[in-house]
Amino acid sequence: MSAFLEVKSLRKEFGGVVAVDDNNFSVQQGERVGIIGPNGAGKTTTFNMIAGYFKPTSGTITYEGRKISGLKPHKISQMGIGRTFQIARAFGAMTVYDHVLTGLLAHHLHLRPTAEQHERVEYILELTNLAPFRDNLVKNLTIASQRRIVLATALATGPKLLLLDELMAGLTFVEIDETLGELRNINEKMGVTLVVVEHVMKAIMQLCNRIIVLNYGKIIAEGTPKEVSNNKTVIEAYLGEEETYA
Amino acid sequence: MSDTALENKQKQKRARTRNLIILAVVLVVMFLIPQVTSEYVTYVVVLAIIWAILTGSYDLTTGYTGPLTFCHGAFYGIGAYASALLTLKGGLSFWVAFPISGILVFLFAAIIGYPGLRLKGHYFAVTTFFFGHFMYLVILNSVSLTNGPMGLRNIPPPEGFLGITFTSLNSSYYMILIFGIIAVAFLYFLVNSGIGKILISIRENEELSQAIGVNTAFYKVLAFSIGAGIAGLTGSLFAHFFRLLHPTTFAWMTSEMVVIMALVGGLGTLIGPIIGAGIVTLILELMRFAPEFRFIIWSVALIAVLIVEPRGLMGLVSRIRGGKK
Repeated sequence: MSAFLEVKSLRKEFGGVVAVDDNNFSVQQGERVGIIGPNGAGKTTTFNMIAGYFKPTSGTITYEGRKISGLKPHKISQMGIGRTFQIARAFGAMTVYDHVLTGLLAHHLHLRPTAEQHERVEYILELTNLAPFRDNLVKNLTIASQRRIVLATALATGPKLLLLDELMAGLTFVEIDETLGELRNINEKMGVTLVVVEHVMKAIMQLCNRIIVLNYGKIIAEGTPKEVSNNKTVIEAYLGEEETYA
Repeated sequence: MSDTALENKQKQKRARTRNLIILAVVLVVMFLIPQVTSEYVTYVVVLAIIWAILTGSYDLTTGYTGPLTFCHGAFYGIGAYASALLTLKGGLSFWVAFPISGILVFLFAAIIGYPGLRLKGHYFAVTTFFFGHFMYLVILNSVSLTNGPMGLRNIPPPEGFLGITFTSLNSSYYMILIFGIIAVAFLYFLVNSGIGKILISIRENEELSQAIGVNTAFYKVLAFSIGAGIAGLTGSLFAHFFRLLHPTTFAWMTSEMVVIMALVGGLGTLIGPIIGAGIVTLILELMRFAPEFRFIIWSVALIAVLIVEPRGLMGLVSRIRGGKK
């Protein structure tokens, strides 16, 4: 039995620039994996390849034993991989309720949404603390809320694996704590495997049970949060730099 | 909290009743028009209905799904010529030619849209612009088939049934009106269904739409083809109502008018473009006294409208009602 998600010698070049350099890693079902690294390390590019937005230059991605590299994004979503975007431009003209409902309809289209689907929307709105905004237009809400709406919509598709791209950027400490609680719920109660790209160190150290560190497209370290934060290469490449800001 | 929710529900209920009353009044007026007004007015209203169906179906593609297109007039023309030729040269009954021309245009649009819609934004818009003009040139120059600039004459009116004949203006008027009601009801149902939400998601953010599992390429082609198919059916009705076709009816000007009417009414609202079509037809008709000036005056008025309220008439309505942007 192979890993839940397995990435083998994955490589992406843009022109002459190597964005992701022959990386190998795997994710087991139920894990919370963090991917960190300085800007331009290839984190989002890796996400884009897993989700089908970029075609890898070489290498393969397998998910539940099936090769998914080269498939279209909607196919990959249908197979149970959801994602959020770093820059979340949500469906602004919709109400929050319809936005989440669209996630359900995208996987099971009904001309009239079924009662079950409506129930599911209510459940997800409660879970992500969006219920008070249900009738608001998405474009009238803050960027942070919009990111949360995109997360809720990704959840509505019933994913087994969620790729979260900088969900917590620009949030206050209180909001980060709330979001961390939600993500733990999603992982533990709904059984969704999480792969998280994040710059907010505190959040990723608290949330993840394993962290992968990228620099210049290469994996330079991998391990538990403790191992990674004590790793010399990582401190040199990344955390040392971060500490000067903090 | 629950009080405001309750209030909202009541407000929605009142709005629905009001809309239903308006709809009923409009329908009654539309049904009375040929009885109480002159032939000239009836003709103008027929034109307005045809424009309204065209603009409404255009709104499905451009207003709801997103891609800007400039070739709706071409689909209208293909439908008109297909239907006319099927009856004139193929000897088919109108009732056979009418659905066939709709299906033909639907398939034709799918063939154009499948490769074309891989282009994004302006690139696709330019492609449709040239496609529209190309179709006009084909109709104009295929003399052996379409009779070219001489046009097609003696197109038969729809065959009557159950004692109803479609040779008189009044009965033809009712046929077009009923088709218009069916087409608009169909579009209304579609944009408010689950498919409508999927289409809007593509318009709002195609990447995100793919991320939640929408096959955006398929739905874009579908919306484009359905819009085109309805335009094709409208063209068929036009051909058998006026019984005379000329290529210039389907030239660039027609596609352009559809876009303008939709913009005036407010894209992505369905009812807006339909009202826009009616108003624009009316204004252009009222300005017939100054044929040289009417398009100049009209252009200036259009620019003024779009500067004051880029969301068109529906935007104006929601602004007057104090709704949020």
